[in-house]
Amino acid sequence: MPRPAQNIITFTIDDREVKAPENAMLVDAAKHGDVEIPVFCYEPKLGQPVGACRMCLVEIEGIPKLQTGCSTAVKDGMVVHTQSERVKAAQRSVVEFLLINHPLDCPVCDKGGECPLQDITFGWGGGLSRFIEPKRHFVKPLELSPTIAIDRERCILCYRCVRFSQEISEDHQLVLLERGTQSYVSTFDGHPYVAPFAGNIVELCPVGALTSRPYRFRARPWDIEDAGSVCTLCPSQCNVTLTVRDERVLRVQAREHPEVDDGWLCDRGRFAYPALGGVAQANGAGPAAAGARVVEPLLRDGGELRAVPWERALSEAAAGLSRAGARTGALVGGGATNEEGYLLARLMREGLHSPHLDSRRAGALPLDLHRALNDPGLQARVSDLEFAHAVLVLDTDPIEDAPILDLRLRKGARRHGLKLHRASAADLLDSTRAAELAQLLRDAGEEIVILWHERLTAGPDGASRARAVLELADTLSLAGTAGAGLLEIPAHSNGRGLREAGVLPNAGPGLSEPSGSDGADGPDGLDALAIAGALAGGELAALLLLGEDPLAGGQRDGAETELWGRALERASTVVAQATFVTDGLREHANVVFPAQAYAEKEGTIVHPDGRIQRLRPAVALVRGREAPRAQWLLISELASRIGLDLDTHTAATASQRLFDAVPFYAGLTLEEIGGKGVRWQDRPAAEAFPGREQLV
Amino acid sequence: MKILFDRIDEPGLNTLEVYQRRGGYESLRKALAMTPEEVLGELEASNLRGRGGAGFQMGKKVSFLPHGTIEKYLVCNADESEPGTFKDRELLQKTPHMLLEGLIIASYAAAASRSFIYIRGEYVQQADVLDAALAEAREAGYVGERILGSEHSLSLVVHRGAGAYICGEETGLLDSLEGKRGNPRLKPPFPANQGLYQGPTLINNVETLATVPAIMRMGGAEYAKLGTETSTGTKLVSVSGHVQRPGNYEVELGVPSRQIIYDLAGGPPPGRTVKCWFPGGSSAPVLTGDDLDVPYDFDSLAKAGSMLGSGAIIVVDDSTAILDVALKTAKFYRHESCGKCTPCREGTNWTVGMLERIDRGEATPMDLEIMASVQEHIIGNCLCVLGDAMAMPIGSMIAKFKDEFEAHIETRRLQALEPVEA
Repeated sequence: MPRPAQNIITFTIDDREVKAPENAMLVDAAKHGDVEIPVFCYEPKLGQPVGACRMCLVEIEGIPKLQTGCSTAVKDGMVVHTQSERVKAAQRSVVEFLLINHPLDCPVCDKGGECPLQDITFGWGGGLSRFIEPKRHFVKPLELSPTIAIDRERCILCYRCVRFSQEISEDHQLVLLERGTQSYVSTFDGHPYVAPFAGNIVELCPVGALTSRPYRFRARPWDIEDAGSVCTLCPSQCNVTLTVRDERVLRVQAREHPEVDDGWLCDRGRFAYPALGGVAQANGAGPAAAGARVVEPLLRDGGELRAVPWERALSEAAAGLSRAGARTGALVGGGATNEEGYLLARLMREGLHSPHLDSRRAGALPLDLHRALNDPGLQARVSDLEFAHAVLVLDTDPIEDAPILDLRLRKGARRHGLKLHRASAADLLDSTRAAELAQLLRDAGEEIVILWHERLTAGPDGASRARAVLELADTLSLAGTAGAGLLEIPAHSNGRGLREAGVLPNAGPGLSEPSGSDGADGPDGLDALAIAGALAGGELAALLLLGEDPLAGGQRDGAETELWGRALERASTVVAQATFVTDGLREHANVVFPAQAYAEKEGTIVHPDGRIQRLRPAVALVRGREAPRAQWLLISELASRIGLDLDTHTAATASQRLFDAVPFYAGLTLEEIGGKGVRWQDRPAAEAFPGREQLV
Repeated sequence: MKILFDRIDEPGLNTLEVYQRRGGYESLRKALAMTPEEVLGELEASNLRGRGGAGFQMGKKVSFLPHGTIEKYLVCNADESEPGTFKDRELLQKTPHMLLEGLIIASYAAAASRSFIYIRGEYVQQADVLDAALAEAREAGYVGERILGSEHSLSLVVHRGAGAYICGEETGLLDSLEGKRGNPRLKPPFPANQGLYQGPTLINNVETLATVPAIMRMGGAEYAKLGTETSTGTKLVSVSGHVQRPGNYEVELGVPSRQIIYDLAGGPPPGRTVKCWFPGGSSAPVLTGDDLDVPYDFDSLAKAGSMLGSGAIIVVDDSTAILDVALKTAKFYRHESCGKCTPCREGTNWTVGMLERIDRGEATPMDLEIMASVQEHIIGNCLCVLGDAMAMPIGSMIAKFKDEFEAHIETRRLQALEPVEA
């Protein structure tokens, strides 16, 4: 689907000539001339303007009536006035109309201080009300959902939340009931508004009508600071702003990035933050309970994990790992950063001389396939999902695996005529069905994106399925087509970054041939499943877990979980870094080091489409005490006790070591990544991607 | 001159048999023998202006539809809800085939292949009559595939509304027809470009479409000789209120209003005089007894500061307090405001509040100024014309009967102060 081209035109606003993209709505075009036209209902993310609030009325020469700036497209030579007496009178009257039924309870309203209605009243209102009749009353506040409170008296009926529910998340639950001045927002029959993206309406609300129940009355805008970071709870890696008060995260809001999240968040990302503190504190007084946030090192003592000083834990862990040496395996996952993965791989390969490390749950894939699937010429970006002619959703349900992509696909289908097809791995291996599928896709157009999940490559058929995907991509000539390509959803939120950092049994940093400590090509290590087998069989003795608990619920099937149970039972040393005490760790770990959660962490991660993004620490305290030591520092300290100097003393040097080690990251700096991230495929260094030969 | 109401009370006119005996569907045959462009030419030559309220030229509206093979819709607005208006009801009930014939001809001129008649839910009896007539027309081959052997095909659905005034607003009607809450849409895009189901759509009032067979029969130029130069033809006028013979009357546009109110409708009861009158439904600014000689046509009424609107004259005589007229009018629009845009939703509610306060004796003359300014802030600033529909008549009443309002405020205030007798 061709993306709209932009034509720059000149128009006059408040007697000044301004250049703006043709057909931009006046409200947006005015910003190019630093003119602000106030709005309530207008929100371009919600699709077509509705012109309901009438706040944006402006005067356009040649048109007798005032026009809504939110719905009038700017044309060359248009002459617009936003400061004439007529416009000001209309703006004052709309503010007056909106306030007559608004309770004006700003001093006790969560929105007070960051409220568009306050700001616009202050900036454009008349400052007086002539309304002395009784105001409209509703019972309030009510639970719209377990996470959202609704105050219908504050509502100015701008329709944003209803439009979100109807046209963005398409859950069709929110409606306006009754009519005229009695209208109110509700679900149709009053049931709770429970939907995967419901929380977005709190952010959309321009007044305090919809508030977050976990955030209610926790802070005023002048108590808080914003900290930009990236949510690592799933591979979507949505950009977020964390609201911080007194070193605690109190709220998560979207930090709009059109190439990542389009300005939306899922409810998991938005409301999971209270859990980052854990259910109860593990402390020296008693044994660590499952679900507790790990805030200090824990050591197995008399069958229970108990808190010990860092030095003690470090020497115990180092001793255990040194004893096992090359008979150590490692799993990396969760929200582990590239730097953590890279340093851990070095600890394993150079310190312990063990190649047995993996960041994939799906098992080993030949290195040539890794390279082919990640070839920079074949990678689609998130925004391609929106503008593609067709998307093949392969072996995944985005709402589960990467929720925010679900909204992007809906947007493509609703606004740009995207054709959506779904298939499973079995369809690909059946040559008739695969051919039919290819034909269906080809019929839709040239720009085709295949959205697939790592699980496609799991099991004994994994490699042949991966080849089938590549074959399909080749049939459809995705490699040469702009706006087309593959997009993989990894099992871990930073799955792509960890692989590129070399956390694979058969690849070093940058998907290079793995090397031994002496620089010679090393042997392939065991993959995750084989590590389990080797531990259970006694060939391996120790296990290092970084952000992974192989026994944690639902990730692996029954037989595999059972194998891991035996593996952990038999392992002589299990060293873990974890945010929470899980049942698996409580049962089997010898040493558990506290790990930082994403709000505390510094480092880089890689989005599934290759965008390298930065995590920035937002808080320095966890449950009132100092945040855990950074993982990169811990790995570096462990390494030095084993006799390996990783020469990494700050988070920035850790990143630098990584950028130096991965050829296609060459020359990257943290400044270049900045707040919006950078796709490595778009940088010249991408040419250094190994083995760009055709495979199929 | 009677065109629409020609022998309207003939028994059985609602049946195909009687309608055909009187030459019904001959205009359709004539039209189908012409090209759509020629039919459109006749419609344009007739200068027929829409009878629903806005008075836009019908032929021009048809010509706005995009050409080409794109699927087009024709929607007949039979959601006659303007207070005081009941002309379409009589047409629907007594001569439904005239509407059907006009609609089919219009669909041919507009090259529309799908059509809907959106009839207000309260018109149960009329909808039943219309359904029966449609069944007859379908049976006779006037509706359906390849009408009368021509290339033109038309599907026609009669859809009953659920009783909201706002669904008479054309875009509100379209949303309602699509199964949504009947809220007006932002214009542009106009329905001619993006209407029903985002397709190009022609929307016409019942009376407008019912006039089409006569235009085809007489020829557009001949029809245009009726009435005035800019307001051609005849018009059905619903007269109600304080008159001795309320009802529907067909007049040639341009006759003096006095003639309609007095000669046809009998004027107010003996001993009373006309205090004010709504010339075009309750949305039209009121005129007073001094304006009775204004010719009844689109432009003369506009020049007099009001409008022809839906062609419904509501007469108020001197026995009625202007406050009661204002309150009744404002309450109707508050009740019918959809709530989508701010000035209408809040303004109608506020206006009713202020009028009620006057009635309770709790107002001061300053409230009159506030009320007038609220009307000014509504007019022209709303999403659709419903807000204006209240603000224009209320504004006109305040302007024309300021003294009476002030006196009313004072009297009620003093009454409220007096101790209640035990």
